[in-house]
Amino acid sequence: MSGHIVVGYTATEAGEDAVALGARLAAASGSAIEVVVVLPADDRSVITPPDASYDRYLRDLAESWLESATAQIPDSVTSRTNVRFADSFAEGLLAAAEEFGASHIVVGAANGGLRGRHRLGSVATELLHSSDVPVVLAPEGSRRVDPAIGVTRITAAIGTRPGADALLEEATSLAEATGAELRLLSLVTVDLPASVDTGVIRVAGAAHADQVLAQAREALSSVVDAEVVIGRGDSIEDAVQHLSWEPGELAIVASSRLAQPRRLFLGSTAAKMLHELPVPMIVVPRTRTTEGGSR
Amino acid sequence: MSDRLGAAAPLATVGKKGDPTGLSAKGLSAGTVGLIGAVVIGISCIAPAYTLTAALGPTVSEVGFQVPAIILVGFIPMLLVAFGYRELNRQMPDSGTSFTWAARAFGPWVGWMAGWGLIAATILVLSNLAGIAVEFLFLLIDQIAGSPGTIAELAFNPFINVAVCLLFMLGATLISYRDMQTTQKLQYVLVTFQVLVLVIFSVAAFVHVAQGIAFDASPVELSWFNPFAVGSFTAVVAGLSLSIFIFWGWDVTLTMNEETKNPEKTPGRAATLTVITIVVLYLLISVSLLAYAGTGTEGLGLGNEEIQANVFFFLSGPILGPLAFLVSLAVLTSSASSLQSTFVSPARTLLAMGHYGALPPRFAEVSPRFFTPGYATIVSAIVASVFYTIMRFVNENVLWDTITTLGMMICFYYGITAFACVWYFRKQWFDSARNVFFTLLFPLIGGVILAALFVITLVESMDPDYGSGTEWFGLGSVFVLGVGIIGLGIVIMIWQAIKRPAYFRGETLSLDAPASLRRPRA
Repeated sequence: MSGHIVVGYTATEAGEDAVALGARLAAASGSAIEVVVVLPADDRSVITPPDASYDRYLRDLAESWLESATAQIPDSVTSRTNVRFADSFAEGLLAAAEEFGASHIVVGAANGGLRGRHRLGSVATELLHSSDVPVVLAPEGSRRVDPAIGVTRITAAIGTRPGADALLEEATSLAEATGAELRLLSLVTVDLPASVDTGVIRVAGAAHADQVLAQAREALSSVVDAEVVIGRGDSIEDAVQHLSWEPGELAIVASSRLAQPRRLFLGSTAAKMLHELPVPMIVVPRTRTTEGGSR
Repeated sequence: MSDRLGAAAPLATVGKKGDPTGLSAKGLSAGTVGLIGAVVIGISCIAPAYTLTAALGPTVSEVGFQVPAIILVGFIPMLLVAFGYRELNRQMPDSGTSFTWAARAFGPWVGWMAGWGLIAATILVLSNLAGIAVEFLFLLIDQIAGSPGTIAELAFNPFINVAVCLLFMLGATLISYRDMQTTQKLQYVLVTFQVLVLVIFSVAAFVHVAQGIAFDASPVELSWFNPFAVGSFTAVVAGLSLSIFIFWGWDVTLTMNEETKNPEKTPGRAATLTVITIVVLYLLISVSLLAYAGTGTEGLGLGNEEIQANVFFFLSGPILGPLAFLVSLAVLTSSASSLQSTFVSPARTLLAMGHYGALPPRFAEVSPRFFTPGYATIVSAIVASVFYTIMRFVNENVLWDTITTLGMMICFYYGITAFACVWYFRKQWFDSARNVFFTLLFPLIGGVILAALFVITLVESMDPDYGSGTEWFGLGSVFVLGVGIIGLGIVIMIWQAIKRPAYFRGETLSLDAPASLRRPRA
């Protein structure tokens, strides 16, 4: 996978988180990273008088920010810096992703996220509602993860709803590219309505797990092997907490079935997972046009 | 050429916008402001509905019926200085504007004071804008609720007034800090609405006059347009310094040159179109309200001190009846968008001052998330809020006095800017006939007029009867405010000079005068 990974950068800790994660992912998958700062386009100014010299000042500042951002990227990773202009940060990232044929867009958590936890900012939210490329969310603290760790394991939270295929495809190709183990996680047991009898849950859970495994084995190439785990707990949050997570792990979820085809939309299960997840999460659009993520 | 670049070298090393040729960093996003966009920004910066309601009363109290004449005359120095502004902006585009230009022409001390004047003026207008907006908010609620003035009265309770005003400031600060913009369509609608409401307002006033039911019908006379009919020189001066305020902000249409779709023609046309719209509106409103209410000191008369600080507030009801809420809405929306565009200018100047080391470097900080001068914006907001709160409690004529002081501060820093233009281009004056006018004569005459206005206003305002007639320490409140602001500026300047001398030694912004282009190989 010699694609490009777009990293949305701001000169904040969240921006550093995103760059660190982007670099780790790129190193593991052999991609190049495009660090992007999106400045407001000046035709967005309809009340305040535009000021060319201030815009220039901003541009210089953005370039110096980018310079210090790339300083922390290991030399082995190819990186480029870009200053873009768009009406919104998310819009600029999407345009850049399209231009570079990027496989992923990486963004950080909003300010004030708990250590090691996710908190969706407005940029991430907008991306999750409109991106057609997988979005990688870097939890607060990603900047402190040792880049040498790479990507050790990929956990795909798989359901039976439409979208599972695309998710499995993305998970396997990412696992192949990064050389990570693949873990398939079924949350069906906790995702059923509370009124359902526990016996039924167990049966349904086991059946689902088998089904997932069978499906996955079919889809998997011989290179990657996968283990299957069934999440247990009173709630999604509880189940996620009780699972073991490696420091070099990535979680992958599919976007909600409410999403338009080829667009993202964070479902309620994914949103609940996000709350508790101590590792980066990748949200994959429902159907992809081509394999492998790059197009 | 080479000595100019050499002088700018310290700027280039810090990666600032200072490269005077301005060539290096072009090609941002392509210039996008069209003619209509530029006019809309211009009108919304001037905010005619707000400006008139705040300035008409004080101007009438100075010059009586000759307000239209003063508006026309007041435009002349503004236009002359704006030409100088444009020349400087073309040569040294910099978000520090007056501060940077004056520092390059006259050195760090004068530059510092010019920046201070600009910041003080904008902070004064911020507090005045918010004050006017509060009064109209209550009036609007009153009109919509149909209660006869009981809710509107609440605006004059100092505690409620200050509380709401601080909320307004907080909202405006947040909007500016996060750089939230409305859509272009909404802004077009708001500006059109503002202009239309003002036209309807004056037509309605004329109708009342024609039907003989005006408050104090005064037949329109040609003498209203004759500045010599005022009779008193000092009154003309006082009126002029107020009319400077009503055109303030107009120059942005001239300096938007780099970003318009057609930089050769758009700025000139936009500025012309804006100023014609504004002047026609001002004349229409002032003539119609004078015809309707006269200059009497009783009731709705424009000479009545009770109503002078905010005339639309009192006149919209009698003139428009049930439609009066339209005026409130127009003033409110115009203050709101003006509040936002006004916030930008002290913030950008403070940013430049921080950047060049004239103020602590924190002022040069840009929010990494919203790309606005965050620290400078918040400091401006806090200072404006504190200023308004103190003024509201110690001086019941706060709105009136801020407007008059504002006129004086504008004369101060615009005057310095005009002279900076003249002096900066001293080696190029006679390069062409165009230069003789635009870099020498126009800014010089404009600067002299503004300087004269400043000095005369300062002297006149020592009289406790000046302006609103508020007396402090045996002197006029406007004088105390003006001198206090300038004095405070000098104190802070000296403090900064001790703390960070580099700027004051001219190490960050050097003196400069571009060489004549007529003999490049001399």
